[in-house]
Amino acid sequence: MSKATLVFVLRRLLQVIPVVLAIAAFNFLLLKLAPGDAADIIAGQMGHATVEFTQQLRREFGLDLPLWEQFLVYMTRLLVFDLGVSHLQGLPVIDLILARLPATLILMITAIFIAVLVGIVLGVAAARRQGTLADNLISTLALVVYAIPAFWLGLMLIVLFSIQLDILPSGGMVSIGAGHTGLAHVLDVAWHLVLPAVTLGLFYVAVYTRLMRASMLEVYGLDFIATARAKGLSEGKIAWTHAARNALLPVATLCGVQLGHLLGGSILVETVFGWPGLGRLVFDALLQRDLNLLLGILFVSSVVVVIANLVVDLLYGLLDPRIVHK
Amino acid sequence: MRGLATFWFRFRRNRAAVVGAAVLFVVVLAAIFGPWFYPVDPFDMVGRPYTVPLDQFPLGTDVAGRDILAGILHGARISLLIGLLASLAATIVGVTFGAIAGYYGGRIDDLLMRTTEFFLTIPSFVLAVVLVAIFQPSVTTVTVAIAVVSWPSVARLARGEFIAHRDREYVQGCRAIGMPDWEIILLQIMPNALPPVIVVASLMVATAILTESGLSFLGLSDPNLVSWGYMIGVARTALRTAWWMAAIPGLMIVITVLAINLIGEGLNDALNPKLRK
Amino acid sequence: MTSARFLGLAMAALLAGTAVTALADEPRRGGTLTYTYHPEPTALSTVATTAVPTALISTKIYEGLIEYEGAAMTPVPGLAESWEISDDQLTYTFKLRPDVVWHDGEPFTSEDVKFSIDVIAKGYHSRGRTYFGNVEEIETPDEHTVILHLSAPVPYLIRAFQAGETPLLPRHAFSDEEIAEERVRQAEIMQAPIGTGPFKLQEWNRGSYIILERNEDYWKEGKPYLDQVILRVIPDGAARAIAVERGEVDLAPMTALPPPEMQRLGGLPHLVSSQEGSEGLGPIMWLEVNLREAPLSDKRVRQAISMAIDRERLVDVIWYGNGQPARGPVVSGNPNHFDASLEPFPYDPEAAEALLDEAGYPRGDNDVRFTLTQNFLPYGEEWVRQAEYIRQQLRGIGIEVTNQSLDMGGWLQRIYTDWDYDFTSNFTHNYSDPTIGVQRAFISTNIRQGASFSNSMNYANPHLDDLFHQAAAMPDGPERKAIWDEVQQILREDLPVIFLIEIGYTHIWNERVHGLITNGISMYSNWDSVWVE
Repeated sequence: MSKATLVFVLRRLLQVIPVVLAIAAFNFLLLKLAPGDAADIIAGQMGHATVEFTQQLRREFGLDLPLWEQFLVYMTRLLVFDLGVSHLQGLPVIDLILARLPATLILMITAIFIAVLVGIVLGVAAARRQGTLADNLISTLALVVYAIPAFWLGLMLIVLFSIQLDILPSGGMVSIGAGHTGLAHVLDVAWHLVLPAVTLGLFYVAVYTRLMRASMLEVYGLDFIATARAKGLSEGKIAWTHAARNALLPVATLCGVQLGHLLGGSILVETVFGWPGLGRLVFDALLQRDLNLLLGILFVSSVVVVIANLVVDLLYGLLDPRIVHK
Repeated sequence: MRGLATFWFRFRRNRAAVVGAAVLFVVVLAAIFGPWFYPVDPFDMVGRPYTVPLDQFPLGTDVAGRDILAGILHGARISLLIGLLASLAATIVGVTFGAIAGYYGGRIDDLLMRTTEFFLTIPSFVLAVVLVAIFQPSVTTVTVAIAVVSWPSVARLARGEFIAHRDREYVQGCRAIGMPDWEIILLQIMPNALPPVIVVASLMVATAILTESGLSFLGLSDPNLVSWGYMIGVARTALRTAWWMAAIPGLMIVITVLAINLIGEGLNDALNPKLRK
Repeated sequence: MTSARFLGLAMAALLAGTAVTALADEPRRGGTLTYTYHPEPTALSTVATTAVPTALISTKIYEGLIEYEGAAMTPVPGLAESWEISDDQLTYTFKLRPDVVWHDGEPFTSEDVKFSIDVIAKGYHSRGRTYFGNVEEIETPDEHTVILHLSAPVPYLIRAFQAGETPLLPRHAFSDEEIAEERVRQAEIMQAPIGTGPFKLQEWNRGSYIILERNEDYWKEGKPYLDQVILRVIPDGAARAIAVERGEVDLAPMTALPPPEMQRLGGLPHLVSSQEGSEGLGPIMWLEVNLREAPLSDKRVRQAISMAIDRERLVDVIWYGNGQPARGPVVSGNPNHFDASLEPFPYDPEAAEALLDEAGYPRGDNDVRFTLTQNFLPYGEEWVRQAEYIRQQLRGIGIEVTNQSLDMGGWLQRIYTDWDYDFTSNFTHNYSDPTIGVQRAFISTNIRQGASFSNSMNYANPHLDDLFHQAAAMPDGPERKAIWDEVQQILREDLPVIFLIEIGYTHIWNERVHGLITNGISMYSNWDSVWVE
C-alpha cells in the first residue's frame, strides 16, 4: 500500500466515524420509541409476572435509568467497542454476532459472487451482440428477474426443488445429527447454500447484467476501442481485456453501495430458508426488544457497509489507473 | 402540446414499454373497478379452505376459506396505492433536498451529503422493518417507512442535475435580471432537471411495491387490508399442500413490477433521448 | 372430514397403536432423540425465563425435588426420596437422595436446595414469590434434609417443586458477587448448565442446534435410555414439518408445527399425533375485554359478542381442529376442577342482535352499531387469521371492528401497562390448580398496572374474590370443588372475558420413539425413560 493510499484510507475513516456514531445515536433514539422493553418481554414469557419482577429486570438491564443516562452509557461503551450484554440471552452481544456473522457472510458473499460473475458474463455477451436475439433474450430475462420478490422466489424454488423434485434441502445450514466434519461438512454447507444463495443472488444478477451491458456499450463508443480494433485485436480480446475492465467501474461501485441492501434482503431470505444468520437475528431481536443486541447488529452492519465502500474506493484505483488518490 | 406528441412518439417506439403500459393499465382497471364487478369481501370465509382454482371459485380459496380472486383485486389497490404514494413522497422530499443542495452548494450541500450518506449506510430494508415494527403496521406507516428509505437516492440524482445546470448560461442570465432563487429553481432549472428524476421515480414505484410485499410477508402490513405480500405470507404455511396459493399473488407482483419497469425504460428513452444507445 | 378419510385415519392410528404395544415392553438402550422447536431457547434454565423453548430443554438437565406421574399428576419422589407435610400444613420436610452428584462431579446437598428456593426461586422466578411468599425459614439440619417453615398454608405448594417450576441449581456455580449484585441471570451457568438430570449439555451451536448427551453418572440405575437428545432449531414452520415427515427429526412437541401441517402429518402412518400429556397445563384462550368503558362495560354487549362467534368453525377452520370450544374458565379436560354441568356457549347471531338492540345499541349509519378496536396475541399466523375471522363475524351483527397489529413488546405495553385497548385475544394456562392458573386473571387484587397476564379487564367482583381466597387455603375435596363450580358459573355469566377455545397442545412423533407420554406435562419431564427403536 503506497503512502498516498494510506493517507486516503485514514482520511476516509476519519470522515465516516462521525457518520457511524450519528447512526448509532439515531438507532438508539429510534429504538427507544418502541413500546415495551426487554423486561416486559421476559416477564411476558414467564406467564404472570408481578410488577416488582419486571422492575427488577429493568434494574438489572439498566433500563430504569433516565434516557439521557442510558444514552451516555451506550455511547461511552461504543467508543471502546463494547456492545454490552444481550438482555434475553445474557451473553455478550459481540459473541452472539460473531456466532451468526459467518453464516450471513457466506450467504452474502456467495450471492454477490454469483451475481457479479453471471452478471458480467451475461452483460458482456449481450453488449457484444447488441440488438440480436441473444441480447434481447438476456435483457428481457434480466428485466423479469428484476421484478421478482426474492422471498417469493425462494418459496417457489422450495416448492420446485425441495418438495416436487426433492433434490435440495429446503432450509437450514447443515444436516443436523449427521455430524459431518472436514470436507464432508463443507460440502454439506454448500449443498444447503445453493437455494438461499441463488434466491438472494438472482435479483443482483439482473442488476449487474443490465449495468454491465449499459456500461460496456458506453465503453464501446470510446476512442481507445476503435484504436484497438485498428490494431487488429480480436473482438473477444477487445471485449474482455479492454472494454470489460473499464466497464467494471460502475459495477464495483454498486457492489459496495448494495452491501447494505443485500443485508436487508437477507432478512427475508434467511427467514424463508431458516438460515442461521444476522438478518434473522435482527428481526428476532427487534421483536424481543433485545435493545443491546439489536443496536449491536445495526452498528456492526453499518461498519461493514462503511468498510465495503472504502474497499470499493480502493478497488477503483486498481481498476482504473487514471484515478490517483490525492 | 408538441412536446407531448414528441414524447409519445418516442415512447411508442419502445414496444416493450407500450406493452408494459397496457398491462399496467389493466392492473389499474382491476384495482379500481375489480371489487365493484366482483363484490366479495376478501376477508369473508366464503367456502371450504384449500379449494383449488377453477373449481368453485375462479382462483380457489386460501387457508381460511377466503376467495383468492377477491384478495387479488383488493390487494392490487393496496400494493399500487402504497407504491405510488411512497414514491411520490420520496420524490418530493428528494427533489426538494437535492435542488436546494445542488443549487446552493457549500455548507448546505455538505449537510445534505452527510444526511444521504447516513441513510445509505443504514441497510434500507432493515430500517423499513424497524420503522414499521416500532410505529405499528398500517398503510400510513408502511408508506412513510418506504418513502424514508427511498428519498436519498432521488436527492443525490436531483443534486447532480442541479449542479450540472446551476452555472449554465440561461441560469446566469436569470440571475443577472434579478430573478429570485426560488423562481430559478422551480421554473427554470426544474423542467430541465426533471426528466431523469421522473425515470427514477417511476422505477421507484416498482421497488416500493417489492418492499411493501417483503414487509407484508414478515407480517408488517395493515391488518385490516389485503395486499399481495400479505397473501403470500398467509399461503406460506400451506406451501406444501397448496403451492398455487403463494404462486398467484407472487405472479401478480412480478407482472405489475415488470410492467412498471418497462414503462420506466420507455420513459427513459422518451425523456433522455441523448442517453439512448 | 369425510367418513372414508376418517376411517383411514382411525385405521392408521390403530395400526400405529398396535406397533407401539408390541414393542413398548422392551426398552432399548442407546440412540438419539431429535426434536424441533422454534424459537431457539434464550437460556438453558427456567430461572432466566419460563418460555416454552427453555422449559422444554432445561427440564432434561435440571431436576426438582419431585416428579409427576400420570395424567392426574400424582407427585412422586424426584431428588427428594421422601417428604412429610405436617397436619397444619406449615412444615414441609424433605429427605434428599444421598447418592446424587452434579454434572461437574460435586455432591448434591441440602444447601443447594435452600439456595435454589431462597435465592433463585424467590428472587428471580416470576412465580417464585407466589409459591414461596409464605416460606419464612428454610432449615438444613444435615446434608440431606431440608425443612420449610411456612407462615400460612399453601395447598398447592407441593406442585411447585417440579423441575419446570423450581429447578434445583448448584450453589457452587454462582459467585458471591453475582448473588450480591443480582447478576444471577448473567451467570455462566445459564449458558453452560450444571444440573443433576439424565442429560447434560454437549454442544450449543447458536441458531442451529443443541446437543445433550447422556449423563453416565445419573442416579437412576440404567437410565436414561437415550444416548443423546438433540434440539434442532428450524425457524420455518413448513421446513419443520418436512423434517419430521422425512424422519430427520423424531418429535415436534407442544404444537411446534403449523396447524395445517399437523393435520397433514397426523394422517401419515409412520407418525403419531397426540394431544395427551399436557393435561397439567390446561391451555385456554379467550378474548380479553376492557371493562372500563361503554359499550363493553355492558354485560349484554359481551354476551352478544360471545353469541356472535362460531367457535366450532373457528376450531375447525382456523385451528384445523386443534382444540375444542371453551365452556368456561377451567378447561373441560381438568378432572378435578371443571364444572361438568357447563354447556357449550351458544352460537346465535340473531339473539346477539336482539341483545344489542335491547342494550340500546341499534344499527345506525351503514348498519353499524358501534366500532371497536381488536388486538391479538402476536403468536403467529393462526392468531391473525382468528382476529380476521372474528372481525368478519362481529361485522355481521353490526359491530365494526378495526384490527391493530402489535408485536409482543407493543402488545404487553398496551394491554397491561397502558390498559388502552377494547378487546384482544389472550392465551393462558390453568396449570394444575385454578388458584395458580385461574385466579390470577380474575381476582381484583391483580388489577395491577404493569403486571403481565394479570387482570387487565378491571374486573372486580367482591364475592368472587372471597371465593378465590377460600379456595386458596383449602385442600382439594368436595367443598373446594363446590367453590370452583360457583366460580366458573359466575365467570360464565359475567363474561369479563369471552371464553373461546381450549387449544390443544399437539405433539407429533415418529413411531420409533416410545415412552414420551408419562404425565400431565410430559414434554417438561426429564425423558429418562424415553427410548427409540
